[in-house]
Amino acid sequence: MIDKSLNWIDDRLGVAKGGRTFLDKIFPDHWSFMLGEIALYSFVVLLGTGVFLTLYFVPSAHEIVYHGSYGPLRGQKVSEAYASTVGLSFDVRSGLLMRQAHHWAADIFLGAIAVHMARVFFTGAFRKPRELNWVVGVVMLILGVVNGFLGYSLPDDLVSGTGIRIAYSIMESIPLVGSYLAFFLFGGNYPGTGVIIPRFFVLHVLIVPAIIVGLLAAHLGLLVKQKHTQFPGKGKTEDNVVGSPMFPTFMAKTTGFLFMTAAVIFGLGGFAQINPIWQFGQYEPYQISYAVQPDWYMGWLDGAARIMPSWEWVGYGHTIPFEIFLPAVIFPGLIFNILLAWPLIEWFKTKDSNYHNLLDRPRDRPKRTAAGVAMLTLLFGVFFASSTDVMANFFQLPLMDVLWFFRFFVPLAPIVAYFIAFKICHEMRDAENIGKRKRALIVSRTAGGEYVTTDSAPRPGDSHEELEAIPVPTFIDTTDPELATAAGVRRVIR
Amino acid sequence: MPKTTRRSVASRVAAPAALVGVVAVFGLVAFSSGPAQADTTTTTAPVTVSTAPGAQPGTVQAVPTAISAEPSASATAKAASPSNQDGIYYTDLPASFIKPGQALFAANCSSCHGSQANGKAGVAPNLQGLGAGTVDFWVSTGRMPLANTSAQATRKPPRFDRVQTLEIAAFVQSLTPGQGTQVPLVRTAGADLENGNTLFTLNCAACHTISGAGDALAEGAYAPSLHLATPTQVVEAIRSGPGNITDTEARDIAAYVTGVLQHPDNAGGVGLGGIGPVGEGFVGLLVGVGLLMLVCFWIGDRA
Amino acid sequence: MSDNKSNPLPPAKLDDPHLQPATRHPERMQNLAILAMVVGMLGFIAFIWVYWIDASNEWEAATLTVGMLGLGVGTIAWGKYLMPQGPFVEERHEFHSSAPEREAFNAAITGRGGLEVKRRGLLLGVFAVGGGIMTLALLVPGVRSLGPKPAKSEDNEGPTEDSLFTTNWKKGAKLVTVGGRQVMVDDLEVGGVLTVFPKGFEGSSPDQVILIRLAQLGPNDPPYPIAPPGKTSWGVQGYVAYSKLCTHLGCPVGLYQERTQQLVCPCHQSIFDVNAGAIPQFGPAPRPLPQLPITVDATGQMRANGSFDQAVGPGFWERP
Repeated sequence: MIDKSLNWIDDRLGVAKGGRTFLDKIFPDHWSFMLGEIALYSFVVLLGTGVFLTLYFVPSAHEIVYHGSYGPLRGQKVSEAYASTVGLSFDVRSGLLMRQAHHWAADIFLGAIAVHMARVFFTGAFRKPRELNWVVGVVMLILGVVNGFLGYSLPDDLVSGTGIRIAYSIMESIPLVGSYLAFFLFGGNYPGTGVIIPRFFVLHVLIVPAIIVGLLAAHLGLLVKQKHTQFPGKGKTEDNVVGSPMFPTFMAKTTGFLFMTAAVIFGLGGFAQINPIWQFGQYEPYQISYAVQPDWYMGWLDGAARIMPSWEWVGYGHTIPFEIFLPAVIFPGLIFNILLAWPLIEWFKTKDSNYHNLLDRPRDRPKRTAAGVAMLTLLFGVFFASSTDVMANFFQLPLMDVLWFFRFFVPLAPIVAYFIAFKICHEMRDAENIGKRKRALIVSRTAGGEYVTTDSAPRPGDSHEELEAIPVPTFIDTTDPELATAAGVRRVIR
Repeated sequence: MPKTTRRSVASRVAAPAALVGVVAVFGLVAFSSGPAQADTTTTTAPVTVSTAPGAQPGTVQAVPTAISAEPSASATAKAASPSNQDGIYYTDLPASFIKPGQALFAANCSSCHGSQANGKAGVAPNLQGLGAGTVDFWVSTGRMPLANTSAQATRKPPRFDRVQTLEIAAFVQSLTPGQGTQVPLVRTAGADLENGNTLFTLNCAACHTISGAGDALAEGAYAPSLHLATPTQVVEAIRSGPGNITDTEARDIAAYVTGVLQHPDNAGGVGLGGIGPVGEGFVGLLVGVGLLMLVCFWIGDRA
Repeated sequence: MSDNKSNPLPPAKLDDPHLQPATRHPERMQNLAILAMVVGMLGFIAFIWVYWIDASNEWEAATLTVGMLGLGVGTIAWGKYLMPQGPFVEERHEFHSSAPEREAFNAAITGRGGLEVKRRGLLLGVFAVGGGIMTLALLVPGVRSLGPKPAKSEDNEGPTEDSLFTTNWKKGAKLVTVGGRQVMVDDLEVGGVLTVFPKGFEGSSPDQVILIRLAQLGPNDPPYPIAPPGKTSWGVQGYVAYSKLCTHLGCPVGLYQERTQQLVCPCHQSIFDVNAGAIPQFGPAPRPLPQLPITVDATGQMRANGSFDQAVGPGFWERP
């Protein structure tokens, strides 16, 4: 039956040869290779819940009177975007679950990208021949951040509307073309003619996701073609990949992981409130709340803006507001360009044009690891700097002291972190038996009264029992009935 | 033969369980209802007034304490009209409160504020002229008595019960009769919540946040959390400051704060502290990505 | 190792260790997987029912999560414990093409293409330039049609919607609240603040002004002294008015601390000293909040006594 169906397909598509190669593909089993899948599957959930939301959201800034079921808002004039989002939350069945799941999925998507990117960076998986894939990944990160900002700005609520105002001012601050760009995008002086919501909507729902999907296909395609990298180990060389086969093992595990990702996202979506826009109210440009931070993946820019001193350049009839331009345009531009160009930067330093399919342990490349740690320290620094007021309130510290702390911490901590990480890498390399489980020492006394120590016997599971890796068998001999039961699981012998 | 190492179940579960435990403890501590503590005496019934319909304006009916029914004779800028139609009735405290109030003041407050409440430079401010309402706010929220004079006073469980608080207030008021805020009795029924919402967003949210969680201000000051305020305290706080807010508006704000803001419709689940994306980011990363990384540990090898 | 594609290996035996379940109790694991998937199924069925009866989103999430967890745990358990784990190996082939293939490929491009370039170089050049101009031309409507050009300077008296330099505040404009109520001179006490707009433009973003009463002064009292760069004559009877748009990133500066007479912007904590013309004392804001000249007319109504003397809001290139 199965044979017949497969033959039918092959008659029309000729996929048998390529299909077998694909099914035999090997995936290394290390847990850190699954981090990208967190991002992939949360993206799938984003697409699914996103489609649901687009069926109800009205991308219009036109004002109407709210008549839905959320009492405190009834009778108030709000934009259609806001009203439809509140409607999704209260008047559409499972709407709130889908809305919150969508938002949690976005947070998790970008968090997973960050963790995945860190893994790829610290193990050197971006080296030849995978430089292109790294670039594709960084571009997806940028687009993901942008799309997240566009998405949470759509409901036109007080908190996200403040973010849109800030985005306008950032655009304005660009020398020469800033005011033009801002006027073009918004339709004039802030708040513009109301076109920003529909434009954000088209970008968020169609244009950016389409680009991300295309890049994702390229990312996975490159991964399949170039095969996954692997850590050095028994039987693993630069010229092979050792692990479990695509079919059925990896497919089962990865499908299961899709469900687990969906489970966590929907669990959060139903039990942990996120972005309760009905509590914030409709955005009005003359109203503001306190403790307004952007979502976490934009927080680093907010923090940079907070700690920046007020350096504005005025001269020759023009102004360059560096206090905006530096932290909000130059700084992220620099960071993303360093990320994009990192394979090139590393090539300049090492002049290494070899293929690398085996990964480094982070400690084996102290300079790269230290640079990565310094970068992470910088980013964490500005990230935490965005919650200065919340921190000052929570820890009951004066606000200005917290701000001054970050003004020093953000530039200095990465330098310190670099040296600490560098040192730790060297220490780890020089240490023996690092990472291995320690053997107990058996202390015994000789007849003469001396104490001697001996290593204990290895415990079961201490040494990783490794089999010799073999190619994936194409045919399996199922004819021997005795073996069928000896294998432990009932098999049907045809 | 199985390929994976066979460690005991306990050793495999220990690290992930510890991580989950740490995250859970962190979450419980961070996202509990914030630094404010339970306020025990402000919920006692005697002070809130619900006048029977048809009662004469200015009289207080069927109240089981000895609050005087005489309206304030001298008009001050803050004294509202004696009717209840604005929702706030400013009371005079009975004269019998003054003597016990003086005793309480002498025992608990005069060491910093002086026996005549005119303050000590650098230690405590002059309370004369502030009025009973202001004193009631500070004492009923537990901010006073305050041990540490350098930090901004924060809400604590109040030291005195309701009657004692009013006695102290009555004494301070008696030092400058007719001046300052009186103790308001706030009737929130019939308030315009939408108006209160609009007023709160425009006037209060910039410091107290849109959800009333409070936040840090400049020069070491804090806008406190509003989660435990009573309607009386809200109006007293508004009236203690400069007010271009009418009594109706103050009543609407008090009704909005106590009726809506303190009972947020957390339809989405756990409120995560009401501080917005900061809390959400923590949960998303630690819980969301963290849990999924634990699943990665399960599925993959840890060679 | 032999190449799978051309020389298939002999069939593997059923008891090959590479094909065995990775657990000592395959039956137990199989049952666990089955149980998990059945729980998952029930979870999804429960979700449908919960949805049908319109229960809370916590119930929807709980059932959906149980369903996903069940299927997920079951599938992962199946894949991890029961399916062949190997280890299997796959050879990597030489990634780049062989030298002769590369030569032929490069020659195809440089050979035939090079031939054309030699013979018809001009055509190629014109095509390239044309293509570049076409790309530019197609981008122009995509960008330029989006919105209006900003006004170049204050000389443009256009509406504030088209200019970053102008607002709707003119001499004599009445100060009103967002609800349209006229502000009278005794509306605020000392320390009171109010958000005001010019009459007819309530709620307009560039026109938002914060009105603060610093002192209770009568019409015949000497004016309240504001240190430069503020202007004493621009206040009236103890009132001062500043643009509410923060000069940093445009958030409304709504936080007034009366005790220290500071305006704090909630977005990035810029602090402005109101007594000194709203100059920024701390934080990233670069310039003082522009001051609006105000006055009181004969009937006690508060009015603007002119417009701002500079553009409000954050800095931009054309700002002098």
